Amino acid sequence: MKNVLAIARREIRSSFNSPVAYAVILGYLLFTGIYLYFIRGFYAVGQADLREYFIIMPLVLAFLVPALTMRSWAEERRLGTYELLLTLPFTEGQLVLGKFLSSFAIAGAAIVLTIPVPLAASALGSFDAGILVTQYLGVLLEAAAAVAVGEWISSLAKNQVSAFVASVLALLCLVLVDRVAGFLGAKGLAAALLNWLSLAFHYDSFSRGVVDTRDLAYYLSASVLFLYLSAWGLTRRKWS
Amino acid sequence: MIELRELRKSYGGVEAVHGVSFTAETGSVLGLLGPNGAGKTTIMKVLTGYHFPSSGKAVVDGLDVEEDPIAVKSRVGYLPESVPLYQDLTVAEYLDFIGDARSLDRPARARAVERSIGACGLEGVYRKKVEELSKGYRQRLGLAQAILHDPPILILDEPTTGLDPNQIIEIRELIKSLGESKTVILSTHILQEVEAICSNVIILNEGRVAAQGAPSEIGKALKGEERIRLRLKAGRGTAEGFDRKSLSGIPGLRSVASFQAESGSVFAAEISMPPADPAAAEVGETIFDWAASSGFKVLELERRRLSLEEIFVKLTSEGDGR
Repeated sequence: MKNVLAIARREIRSSFNSPVAYAVILGYLLFTGIYLYFIRGFYAVGQADLREYFIIMPLVLAFLVPALTMRSWAEERRLGTYELLLTLPFTEGQLVLGKFLSSFAIAGAAIVLTIPVPLAASALGSFDAGILVTQYLGVLLEAAAAVAVGEWISSLAKNQVSAFVASVLALLCLVLVDRVAGFLGAKGLAAALLNWLSLAFHYDSFSRGVVDTRDLAYYLSASVLFLYLSAWGLTRRKWS
Repeated sequence: MIELRELRKSYGGVEAVHGVSFTAETGSVLGLLGPNGAGKTTIMKVLTGYHFPSSGKAVVDGLDVEEDPIAVKSRVGYLPESVPLYQDLTVAEYLDFIGDARSLDRPARARAVERSIGACGLEGVYRKKVEELSKGYRQRLGLAQAILHDPPILILDEPTTGLDPNQIIEIRELIKSLGESKTVILSTHILQEVEAICSNVIILNEGRVAAQGAPSEIGKALKGEERIRLRLKAGRGTAEGFDRKSLSGIPGLRSVASFQAESGSVFAAEISMPPADPAAAEVGETIFDWAASSGFKVLELERRRLSLEEIFVKLTSEGDGR
């Protein structure tokens, strides 16, 4: 664990020494805020409902998480520090986990910093604190899965730009795939499968204030799966 | 101590190292010499646990790199050829991370960082960002990183590239003193570097050991020759009719690489002589005697060292069956 934290600390330091971390946090607050107040017209609707605010978060994260994770491995390759990391006494698992933690911490900070929005809105009506907590739990879980996917793609990519583009595309697909099911009028097993794959579909119950263990399990297992894939790729490289 | 037994390594079907074996003892500096693509870097990557061998064994400090990579990595300090640094950290932050990664606690880390920046001359840039550093400072920071945890094994891939002559001397001194108590392996293109700091040399060519031994012996192993640069001043009357052919009077002369008359009485030449034979007279002595007996004064007599390139041309052309 000490090693994992050493890696994560280094990553976070680097991110805050460059504009990346600030840009991502600011971008997240701006986009979600603009969406709520201008596009959905929060004040105009006259309803004290923040579900719209949380529903848009996975989509915004699909753009901002790749901005965080694209550097992760691709940048190490460019600087040659990849070789340094892999010759320091870290296991592959520690490396992957350390990098995941740092990106997740910055994404998490961006999400947590939106708390003033519902707090301000709470003056306008009665909000259920329990629902709010669930909504935040959902976004954080969704962000964790998205970061794991982004980290994995970065570990495969040759450079930052391709890591960014591929991650955005992958996350958009994962967020929007349940809409495809509806669009195609898919039924039965096909629809169930498309829905099951979707990052947004599993988020739905959280945004309504319901913690469904199936959705919880989906996010956790997606995170673990992609972290495992990254570590496996790193280990396999040694023999190539 | 480092031991390599019949190491082979292929990347995607292409074999970069074809069965290399050697031993490097504690308290020695081993130089790996070779042209690009000879397998120096590949061997270093195996020794640091970055790559695993395709076959054969690599044992570092008694530990097999494949069986115990983490323990090997914690005993090794490694400076890769690319000098890996995080551009957006300061020198202080970078070394702090390395100390953290090496599991040094806070006071131990502070001591290690202080010792390391002192040894590598980094005091002046301690608070600077890595991206602002010059090539020489980056190289030194890379070295500071490698020696931070005072490892028993040091593996340095071209440690002096990008340094100015003064820095090169400092860093060579540092490596030499580290080699007194540690096992040091370094790679280089520069023959003088090997002569200055290495107790043993291995010349690699196309993934095989082409020659090995102490730096002074390696020349003999190459069946080399001595190149001598010569400036002669003719005494009265002896300049008449003196030309390239007249040099063949030097006992044992192999060939004349160049010859020119600088003025009526001063001649410059570059000649090649057989390799020094301890039983016979020194080459310089032979030439001096010849010059004196033919009525010349020796203005300059310089033994030209074979450059690494020339050695490789020789090694590889010998390999072609000549």
